[in-house]
Amino acid sequence: MIESYLEALDLELADVGIPSRLRRRILAECEDHLRSDDGALDRFGAPAEVANAFASELGARTSRRAAAGAFVALGVAGAFYAVSFIGASFAGHPAPDTWPLLAQLALVAGILAPQVSFVAGSLALVRTLRRREPVLPSAELRVINRRTGVALAFGIVTMVALALLALELRNDSAGWWVAITLVGVAISTPLLVLAALPTAVAARLKPRVAGDSGDLFDDLGFVRTDPWRFASLVALGLGLVVFLVASVQGDPFDGALNGTAEAIACLLGFAALGRYLGLRR
Amino acid sequence: MKGHVDLLLLSTLQAGPLHGYGVVEKLRGLSDGAFDLAEGTVYPALYRLEAAGLLSSSWTKASGRSRRVYELTKRGRGELARSRDEWKAFSQAVEAVVT
Repeated sequence: MIESYLEALDLELADVGIPSRLRRRILAECEDHLRSDDGALDRFGAPAEVANAFASELGARTSRRAAAGAFVALGVAGAFYAVSFIGASFAGHPAPDTWPLLAQLALVAGILAPQVSFVAGSLALVRTLRRREPVLPSAELRVINRRTGVALAFGIVTMVALALLALELRNDSAGWWVAITLVGVAISTPLLVLAALPTAVAARLKPRVAGDSGDLFDDLGFVRTDPWRFASLVALGLGLVVFLVASVQGDPFDGALNGTAEAIACLLGFAALGRYLGLRR
Repeated sequence: MKGHVDLLLLSTLQAGPLHGYGVVEKLRGLSDGAFDLAEGTVYPALYRLEAAGLLSSSWTKASGRSRRVYELTKRGRGELARSRDEWKAFSQAVEAVVT
């Protein structure tokens, strides 16, 4: 009886995503418990119930730690990105319209990907800081894990884009900028990959806990409105900022083009990832 | 009981280290059977408290079987004291209202 219970529990634990090493410990402890007295098996709870309790209790903490770790790794990558981005102004690049196609594509990715990464990573962190309960609904954990995963994935895309830019422009740019950029990529990328490991563990945990996933308005505490209206306002604001910065630098036409592109990219991002990342229901 | 599991588990370990079965037995005994929960669901909470640094655990041998024993960490003792004060204040307030 005990053996068949433990076999069933092992299957249920695997089903909710408990890693094999942890499963072995759980099974050893449960076996000790079940052999402690004759009635223990009847009082222990159904395997599915126990397995779900493990996934529920461990899920919130695992997701929280993964989000925090990702944010630290993204912070390091962000610092290197900022140094490279600011340094690019002094690196003597030729005009972007003369760059090879790969460098131009890398430039676009290097501008858009970090924005997605920053938004997703920040929102993952906001959600984990806002919801400190030991057990969270499955839908919320899914949102946190997705935000963390997307933040890391786009962080890695950013680093690849930076590396491509540095390599493609190495003959036309200051050597120090190429070196700084590549060193930053070499340090940041492994950190981002390492931060993805606990995120993968967290994403594998699949507790069944009822509850709503929440959305952007819950996270930011804003008065609830139509999410598309909100996204449009944010896109408009971003576009205006880009336009104003370019205007101050004496290139309002370029600013208008880039600002429009930024606003469109923001809306496209909201359309593509809004539901997936729990920005809207 | 759901909101007070941590306080109850930490309290059972206050007197000294116990294995999971011992925690359940003590919980049942001290509550005179009032906290008669599915015993297997105590372990996930113990794991979470351990992951939070409030408990530590180690393997021992007993009756020829491997046994995981839990004990309060320094941080766990601090949390227990804090939670107990909170609970006392809450229960006194409820007591004052309902009696």
